[in-house]
Amino acid sequence: MDWLLFGIFIFLMLAGVPLAVAMGLAGTAVVALSGFGMLSLPTNVYTGIAKYPLMAIPVFVIAGLIFERAGVAAGIVRFASALVGERRGSLAIVAILVAMIMGGISGSGPADSAAVGAVMLPSMIKAGYPRAFTASVIGAAGSTGILIPPSIAFVIYSLLVPQASVPALFAAGIIPGILAGVSLILMAWWLSVRHDFEAEPAETRPPFWQSLKEAGWGLLAPVIILGGMRSGAFTPTEAAVVAVFYGLLVGMVVYRTLTWREVYNVLVESAEISSVIMIIVALASVFAWASSTLSTFDHLARVVLGTGLSETVMLLSIQALLLVAGMFLDAISIYFIFLPLLVPIALHFNWDLVWFGVIITMNMAVGQFTPPMGVNLMVTSRMAGIAMESTVGWVLWMVAAMGATMLLVTFVPELALWLPRHLGYL
Amino acid sequence: MSDHENAAASGSKLTLAAVERFLMAASMGILCLLTMANVLVRYFTDISFAFTEEISVALLVVMALVGTAHAFATNHHISIGYLVEGNAALKALAGRFAILCSLLMFGLLTWYGTSMAWDDYRFEVTSPSLGVPQWWYTVWLPLLSLLIVLRLLALLWRGAK
Repeated sequence: MDWLLFGIFIFLMLAGVPLAVAMGLAGTAVVALSGFGMLSLPTNVYTGIAKYPLMAIPVFVIAGLIFERAGVAAGIVRFASALVGERRGSLAIVAILVAMIMGGISGSGPADSAAVGAVMLPSMIKAGYPRAFTASVIGAAGSTGILIPPSIAFVIYSLLVPQASVPALFAAGIIPGILAGVSLILMAWWLSVRHDFEAEPAETRPPFWQSLKEAGWGLLAPVIILGGMRSGAFTPTEAAVVAVFYGLLVGMVVYRTLTWREVYNVLVESAEISSVIMIIVALASVFAWASSTLSTFDHLARVVLGTGLSETVMLLSIQALLLVAGMFLDAISIYFIFLPLLVPIALHFNWDLVWFGVIITMNMAVGQFTPPMGVNLMVTSRMAGIAMESTVGWVLWMVAAMGATMLLVTFVPELALWLPRHLGYL
Repeated sequence: MSDHENAAASGSKLTLAAVERFLMAASMGILCLLTMANVLVRYFTDISFAFTEEISVALLVVMALVGTAHAFATNHHISIGYLVEGNAALKALAGRFAILCSLLMFGLLTWYGTSMAWDDYRFEVTSPSLGVPQWWYTVWLPLLSLLIVLRLLALLWRGAK
């Protein structure tokens, strides 16, 4: 029966059936054949969606979308160029900084890469960067977003692994996320110096204080979310809602870019993005119910643990597996597919689940821009109008830089855990 | 709100898509307003407003299911296309197969969801915090699953033409 559950799920998933339906039907088949009672089907689906913690998904999605539409991007780009100044590779560094600041809210690496690409790609190409290098930098930069809060990926991880709270995960992602961004910046700068990119500064440096003032409206959003949660004034869901109304105010009153019509579109779009995630949550609960009734994942975890691999080898194998998975799938789908198996293994080795969440998310982030399949790289190559193969010579440097950071966090867990412990979230 | 113009802009399936979009926007909007109101009321008064959680959760169900229907039409559901996208004939076949599987899933949910809601009605189950009949909430699962079924049938019909 265990194999039936997985067999149906894997077959349907690979046949291109939506992930939610593949999980739901595999679970339903087991329920029907084992005679567990078909009424468990609607009950599980209903209680799968109708729970308050799930509220975090739509509010974080709409908060991200509102800020994207409120026109804060241009201000943040100017602020980043004021920080970076006129130097070799300054535009590449600006692109990575912008991705770090803006990214993550959508929780989807490809969407972040597309958003940063839309702002940065034309000016980088105009400044004479090779298209392949530009696509590599932006694809890599877009993947840092899911580590730096507020990150939808961590909200979902917390839903699936309740032992890891959202504030703890957000705090734990900050230092690894910044380290990942810095390693990419150093690599982009080194490559630019070596290949003499942007020998003549493309743009003059905007005045620092003025650009900070202009970007301030946008920069305040993460401060509201993180500060609100830190002070204990808001739950994560409430903090995100406050940010939504703040973004609405900024977009309609300050920048005057949001019309009522645009707000309506944001509502529809964010509802759709959230629904796509929530229907997976709902139908995955049928799958989860069937598998826990059969104790499928316990059996499977026992098989994996029965191989007698040492802790380090096991951890590195999991990371290799997730890196490959990250090339094909977005972070959210990977959580739903792999976490039920990985969490029992993590518990067996007494790994900290907050740290574990951070490193597996970093793995997926690296996978997202690793050729030949990296989804982010696919998006940015398409935007730059080049074949993905042509980026290999550049992007492998970026993979190496972020991969090294990932190994650092793997073997020095305090990099992730120091901040949440210091803030009292652990 | 001008949902008619939006539907015209989105182009296809005028009426159904427009209704879906309106329901999605409305449920999302009310969710945000209720949560914000909760924060404000808690800060400025002593009144407990927490019973609205039950309404928020019901709206979540409506939004998730209507959004699912809409995402089938816009082809935004998360799926793995790599293996079937190479060949045009295979891709078309896989597309129909995916719709048929989804039809089966939401058909079953409509059927068994109806009997779940019927049980809630028959046994006069009441909701935990507001004490209203539970079927007011649970009836939306079969009703909106039926909407998804209709949406999928429309897609099959359009594909067949």
